[in-house]
Amino acid sequence: MPIFSFLNSGFLAALPLASIPVIIHLLSRRRLPEVPFPTTQFLRQLEPREIRRLRLREILLLILRTLAILLLVLAFARPSITPRNAVTTAAAAMAVIVDDSESMAGLDEQAKPRMEGAIERARALVAAARPGDELTLISATRPIGAATEHTSDRVRLGRSLAATEVTMLPADMAGALLAARRTLERSRLKDRELYIISDLQRSNFDAKARAELGPIAAAKIRVYLVPVVSSRVPNHALADLDPVLRPGPMGRGLELRARIANYADAPSDRIAIRVRHGDALVGGGDVTLKSDESRWAAMPLDWRGAGSDSAQSSGAVLIEADQDALAADDRWFAVLGAPGRLRVLRVTEPREGAAPTRFSSLALDPGKDGRSGFVVDEVSPAGLLGLTKSRYDVVLIEDVASLSTEGEARVRAFLRDGGGLVVALGPHSDPGYYGSRLFPGIIDLGLDGAEQAAAGGSYELRARLPGHDVLNGLNVAVGAPLTESRLTGVMKSRTLTTRPEVVVQTTGGLPLVATSPGVAVFLSSLSDDWGDLPYSGAFVPLVRGLVSYAAQADAQGPGATRVGEAPAARLTSPPGAAVIVRGPESYSSQASVRAEGTAYRAEADAPAVQPGFYDFESGGRSIATVAVNVSPIESDLAVIPADTLKAASGSGSSTLGSVNALESHLRDTRRGRELWMTFLLLAAAALAGELLLGSARTLRA
Amino acid sequence: MSERRPRLLDPHFISKLTRLDLTARLVVEGFLTGLHRSPYHGFSVEFAEHRQYMPGDPLRHLDWRVLAKSDRKFIKQYEEETNLRSMLLVDTSASMGYGSHGVTKLDYARQLAAALAYLMLRQNDAVGMFAFATGRAELIPPRSTLGHARPLLLLLERLTPGGTTDFASSLHSLAERMTRRGLVILISDLLDDPERIAQAIHHFRHRKHEVLVFHVLDPQEVAFDFEREAVYVDLETGERVTTRPQELRTDYRARVNSWRDQIRQFCIEKRAEYVPLTTDQPYDRALLEYLSKRARLL
Repeated sequence: MPIFSFLNSGFLAALPLASIPVIIHLLSRRRLPEVPFPTTQFLRQLEPREIRRLRLREILLLILRTLAILLLVLAFARPSITPRNAVTTAAAAMAVIVDDSESMAGLDEQAKPRMEGAIERARALVAAARPGDELTLISATRPIGAATEHTSDRVRLGRSLAATEVTMLPADMAGALLAARRTLERSRLKDRELYIISDLQRSNFDAKARAELGPIAAAKIRVYLVPVVSSRVPNHALADLDPVLRPGPMGRGLELRARIANYADAPSDRIAIRVRHGDALVGGGDVTLKSDESRWAAMPLDWRGAGSDSAQSSGAVLIEADQDALAADDRWFAVLGAPGRLRVLRVTEPREGAAPTRFSSLALDPGKDGRSGFVVDEVSPAGLLGLTKSRYDVVLIEDVASLSTEGEARVRAFLRDGGGLVVALGPHSDPGYYGSRLFPGIIDLGLDGAEQAAAGGSYELRARLPGHDVLNGLNVAVGAPLTESRLTGVMKSRTLTTRPEVVVQTTGGLPLVATSPGVAVFLSSLSDDWGDLPYSGAFVPLVRGLVSYAAQADAQGPGATRVGEAPAARLTSPPGAAVIVRGPESYSSQASVRAEGTAYRAEADAPAVQPGFYDFESGGRSIATVAVNVSPIESDLAVIPADTLKAASGSGSSTLGSVNALESHLRDTRRGRELWMTFLLLAAAALAGELLLGSARTLRA
Repeated sequence: MSERRPRLLDPHFISKLTRLDLTARLVVEGFLTGLHRSPYHGFSVEFAEHRQYMPGDPLRHLDWRVLAKSDRKFIKQYEEETNLRSMLLVDTSASMGYGSHGVTKLDYARQLAAALAYLMLRQNDAVGMFAFATGRAELIPPRSTLGHARPLLLLLERLTPGGTTDFASSLHSLAERMTRRGLVILISDLLDDPERIAQAIHHFRHRKHEVLVFHVLDPQEVAFDFEREAVYVDLETGERVTTRPQELRTDYRARVNSWRDQIRQFCIEKRAEYVPLTTDQPYDRALLEYLSKRARLL
């Protein structure tokens, strides 16, 4: 029950002042002069209508005057109400999660740095800490390491806050919430509060983080959301880079593809993208994106400006987009290898004495010169024995009945080394072998045998995941057919777990293209055995998409290392001396080296804290360079609805949307909610009413 | 001259003079001096005097006999001869004792009645007087001698305000007693039931009397220009009403004007002359109204 009290109760002695208007009224009535008048008949006639109204107004004026004085006196007495969630009588344990993730480097709706607003709010909390209160500051990006201990030492807390700055790391909100709960549960104090000072990014509060709110509510910890922004601020970001340099249009030059995303509720302006090699501008382009669209943008490269012939082979490039709300994700660091030619080993077998069709070979490398970005070697299953990652990037097994044990082992080893696998089935494939022998451990896909379309019928190829990399180059919508070509037979399959992605399916929902990292399976024929697909316009991009997707199994492409992860490089030979990694902002760390297949992997001991290029040095000589970029999870600045978080935490959370709201909340819960301003306003309202009523009378007079 | 006339007709100035006979004469003389032509020197059959012919005088009034005898031109002047009988009815109710600027309504009525009596007697009209209020009434029958002015003025000087205005009992009895037709001049604030006033006037009219009503009110009664809240005490009934004048002023004025219009209306219906007066107005208006009425009667 709320408790009503007065902080300056001495002023209540002045309450009798409220009777002044009544006394004045009574005195003035008693002293009314008597005026003899010839007749009062006209006054009497008016009395019922006017006098009664006047008396009513007089009473109203009297009430308003009395009320005004009463409220004024009460306002001076500082009335206060202690709310239900007050911690006025006992010390409180408070955990304050300060979001210091990359997105906090952005600007809020007033173009003010988000972190500045967060620190301001945290300082208000520290300032409100009373002797006996326990306060813990928890970093949202490093919830364990960066937490201060329970303390009410304002100086220490202030110093800790002063040292708090934005990191380039993604928020680990689940970890922060867990740390906060454990910290508060350790406290002996009964009143426990958790303040989350954050931009409340939707991407930070995933299911795992939201699940942490339930136990917090169960531990009777009051949760206060302290958002530094209230709405989604538009932001575009460089989200990925294609590790393969592609031949340019008409086979001339090279082009680099970067994925750029527009996280906004409206289409973007034209975004210019520049590719720099050192200080030289070596490429660029521009793109306009729809709301929430993510698209690969191709940028022609011209290395002539780089001034070095070796630039292409050791190309450390920086891709920059126009800066916006969040500058960190408008840059992408990448170290490009040699111009991309995916080396594909195509495994086929003769059919009834005839040579296998070459549709997929022609789709990948029509000129047999590698200018399309693909170099294809064709072998029989026996040729799999020569399969190594050093020689091939992707192996394409096309309509092969089954593999020998050695061949299968070689494929598995190839996959372990980072190679990619494309399996295209067909009328000669043994579903039993693939479903029960080859696929387990590679892709969770079960096969139920081939199925032919009914007489006169056929299967359509419909996109299920239009944005998938397999469908790159095919502009289709969800459920739209890829081509007018039809398939007459498919290999019936089903996904065994949720891990495989069905990218293309038939009209009836049978999977046609299923993928798993580094593996793509086409569940029909890439020849004309089962339909006329090889003759359609979609065939070439589809085959190239399958191979390109599988090639990305070597996921450690340029710039794949994120801030917060340890920079790692693949070395072709063992380093002769200890490896030191040097990076931006005086980063320096030793690296450990271990063998990995036929190569070596050097990994820094310390995680990268800034995006940029990290050099691996051994014996004073640079042996590798890797690029580190920020996590794209921080780029979408959409705010999670407070109701979603409230639902996750039960009804135990409140939102304090501004610094004023926070300060007011702290004041109310620590000292009780003061109502003097309310009383003062009411007194002013009463006086205004009195003036209004009085002036109406004067105007009429 | 132009300064004397208003002063002599100003009620406030006249009220400071104590002798009613003197003040009545002053009023009438002052009034007459201001007129362009003497209204009461007519050309009746009764010769009054000769005067030297002046160019412009009508030749039909030239005394040919004197011209033939003495070769001198004289104009014959005649004394107007009337047989008008007038009765002055003066209301002496308590409400007539009200005066907001030094002149009560009764003062004003008294002075007006005295001036009218003086004027009438100067014209050889017979004048009577009836002072009335509830429970008290005094009557002086009409006579035309100049010496009759004295009892009239003595009565007027005696009058004091008191009682209530009662047209029903007072005026109806008077109407019954006035056998010869004549002019009835009512000077009152008419603070009675308008219906009863109308009946009284109707009674006089029924008896073939001409009626002239001087409705005398104090300026404050009309304007209700008081400033502060007060208890207003009815002079006749003693009733008390507490009110704020500024709140009621507009409605009050509307009601008073409506009441005066109502009285004017029934005066018109009864073919009586209605003259609204306030005690700050000069007497000449009342006197002019009287003379105008008299001219129409003769």
